[in-house]
Amino acid sequence: KQWYQRRVAITAGEYKSYLSTRMLYQRYIEVGRVCYIRLGDYAGKLCVIVDLVDQKHLLVDGPTTGVPRTVVRINQVSITDIKIDIPRGCKSKKVRVESEKAEVTSKFQNSGLFKKAEAKRSKAAMDDFGRFKARVAKVSRNRKIRSTVRKLKKSS
Amino acid sequence: CKQQHDQAVVSTQSGHYGRDPTEDVKRPLTNRRKVKPTKLRSSIKPGTVLILLAGAHRGKRVIFLKQLPSGLLLVTGPYKINGVPLRRVDQAYVIATSTVVEIPAIANDKLTDAMFKRKAKPTKNEREMFIENTSEEPKISAERIALQKEVDAVVVPAVKKVEMLPSYLRSKFTLTKGQFPHQLKF
Repeated sequence: KQWYQRRVAITAGEYKSYLSTRMLYQRYIEVGRVCYIRLGDYAGKLCVIVDLVDQKHLLVDGPTTGVPRTVVRINQVSITDIKIDIPRGCKSKKVRVESEKAEVTSKFQNSGLFKKAEAKRSKAAMDDFGRFKARVAKVSRNRKIRSTVRKLKKSS
Repeated sequence: CKQQHDQAVVSTQSGHYGRDPTEDVKRPLTNRRKVKPTKLRSSIKPGTVLILLAGAHRGKRVIFLKQLPSGLLLVTGPYKINGVPLRRVDQAYVIATSTVVEIPAIANDKLTDAMFKRKAKPTKNEREMFIENTSEEPKISAERIALQKEVDAVVVPAVKKVEMLPSYLRSKFTLTKGQFPHQLKF
């Protein structure tokens, strides 16, 4: 019964969305794309692409995240999944309204990039006692894993 | 200025004009400097865990008790935990961590610089120099041991209250690959 179900015809729309998942790139640098600034003064913050300056520069704005309307280099920035609907070169007020409507910040907090950045930040902020506790936890965990693996090897 | 050297030249005559150098009396300038103990870093408070950077106990983590009048810091292991006794340590050779243990204030009159003063060896006359001193005094006085026990009786329970703190104090501070002191947060 299952292989019959696979041979059911799909609609054109479904086929198109299937094709888009098959494409090499899924995130594009375009107006309205939300980016994560990796380097520079506003590192760690989100911004929205408002316009493209040239092959290597973008005009970005992040009224809800504290990024002023500035020009950044494309390699300073990582593009995210999130895209909002704004016209090219629109004012900061419009960007703010659209970002809040699309709930950009909360969507970003579910992403892997945010979680990794948070983990890195909290690791760097660990004090000496914290580092000691982390080391002890890691050592005991690895010991348990290794002993279990050894036991399984012996029994097999 | 005539007072560029350490001595003031006091003229025996009333004015400078026509003074006789041979009759001038040299008097040292008055020193109005008041000796203060070294300014204690704001990150160091009673109960702070410090990392010793030099000396026999380098790398060990100890508890700071108080600053002595000489400016040195009085620390304790506690002795039972990591073998560091009541010891004086210079602030410059210490990293203060942000971990602070809540210890009740230790008000003990005996915890001063005088406690650490080395006893002068008794001078022997010529004849005694050739006779070996078989009876040697114990290296650590009973007084010190008693004082250590007294202080640790207060500090150790406070340390045991915090989870994993005793084992933390027992461990030594080391730098591993990829760790740089200027990037670490203590």
